[in-house]
Amino acid sequence: MPDTIAQIRSSVDSLTEQFDIIAHNLANVSTAGYKRRCTVFSRLLDSQLRNSATGSNGEVALDGALDFSQGDIVETGRRLDFAIYGKGFFVVETPGGQLYTRNGVFHINQNGQIVDSDGRIIAGQAGPIVIPSTIGVSQIHVSTDGTVIGDGTVIGSFRLVDFGDNEDKLVSAGANCFQVPEDIQPAVAENVVVKQAYKEASNVKMMDELVNMITVSRLYEANMNFVSAQKEASDSIMEVAMG
Amino acid sequence: MLRAFSTAATGMTAQQTMVDVIANNLANVNTIGFKRSQTDFQDLLYIKLRESGAEVASGINTPGGLEIGSGVRVASTVKVFSPGEFQNTGRKLDIAIRGDGFLQVTLPNGDIKYTRDGALQLNANGQLVTTTGYFIEPAITISTDAVSVDVGKDGSVNVTDATGTSSVVGTIQLVRFPNPSGLSNEGDNLLAETGASGTATTGTAGESGFGTIQSGFLEKSNVQMVTELVNLITAQRAYEINSRAIMVGDEMLKTANNMVR
Repeated sequence: MPDTIAQIRSSVDSLTEQFDIIAHNLANVSTAGYKRRCTVFSRLLDSQLRNSATGSNGEVALDGALDFSQGDIVETGRRLDFAIYGKGFFVVETPGGQLYTRNGVFHINQNGQIVDSDGRIIAGQAGPIVIPSTIGVSQIHVSTDGTVIGDGTVIGSFRLVDFGDNEDKLVSAGANCFQVPEDIQPAVAENVVVKQAYKEASNVKMMDELVNMITVSRLYEANMNFVSAQKEASDSIMEVAMG
Repeated sequence: MLRAFSTAATGMTAQQTMVDVIANNLANVNTIGFKRSQTDFQDLLYIKLRESGAEVASGINTPGGLEIGSGVRVASTVKVFSPGEFQNTGRKLDIAIRGDGFLQVTLPNGDIKYTRDGALQLNANGQLVTTTGYFIEPAITISTDAVSVDVGKDGSVNVTDATGTSSVVGTIQLVRFPNPSGLSNEGDNLLAETGASGTATTGTAGESGFGTIQSGFLEKSNVQMVTELVNLITAQRAYEINSRAIMVGDEMLKTANNMVR
């Protein structure tokens, strides 16, 4: 009986966490470059694996993973909006090290450097990309390989990186950015296409999340009903025992 | 309490802002020189419950960590400076800027503001003013005996008097910013310089980096009604689904409450 309660408790905790993750996905349904977090559903097998090693009571643990599938490419018409098609990231320079993002809503700061919405510098192949003051925003063209051309002359080129098989090591840093442990070095992204005046929409699918949300709430309910049933069962046992 | 409640609330607030921005865009669908705004979202910080690759038992590492995000915020609303349609008005003092650049406007208190609304007028003293009555900088005065006024592609204002002699009385200058999206909106079709926009560079229309001036045309708003309506529907649905998350969460807590009767 206490075992059952412990199992239910861990299951309810996991479902609550899963619900929180779904709510976060739904909150970011309009966030450019956002990658959906999925919760790992193969946790029966996973928990069995753990059982054999730890001998715990079949408690479930939840794992999260990022779904890096391509989001829709949406036209915005803004010359400093960029979408990446294919596997790759823009590099954001911060005092705490490099971050990686697929949100290409960029700006030019007072020094002419290309920055993100938080004013952090976007890395070029050779340092920040500086747009000369003689060039207007409407004269900036970015080719599909990330080369920035201003009024016919090459100004710089976006640094585009990829993590290949290490992609699952990326963790969210907030503000649309990802970070990796220091020991992982990004590789140069290949087969990526940069599209100017477009942005990559969030890859959250409202319907999928809605279905997951319903599943979670029903499972939660089922767990609660089970506790109620257990309570009734123990009540009747007590009645018999007490006469 | 469920973390999801506050997460969904951030989603609703953000979508609400998006609806506000769209409403303002739609309201300005016929405003001369208006540039539409777009909302840029950012995900909030994550609570790391378990690092990825953490060891759960000897030799067994989790394939992925567990991080739960806390929602979304509006990072910025950015103005999109794509050109609007040019509408032929035939009026000599209607000017449109083809390409980058803003007109300078002097406010009564001496401040300089910027606009792309080129529906210029003459006031009682023959001075060139905006529809609101603010002076164009540099100030240009047209003498009362002028019979016609022309504005050249470079912004030069030509006046022809009754005898047929024409003379240049001034040149409308343009300014440009490193980051026009950083300009702040002041209402009345006016924009103001900020730390984010960078400092203004003054120049003549047609110079490198500056657009040309087209007399007889007005630049219409760059708001596309259909795009805005589609965005409005998306925002409304996103708002709805976030509120649904709160409702479902509430149901879950209700079952939990019912457990103890």
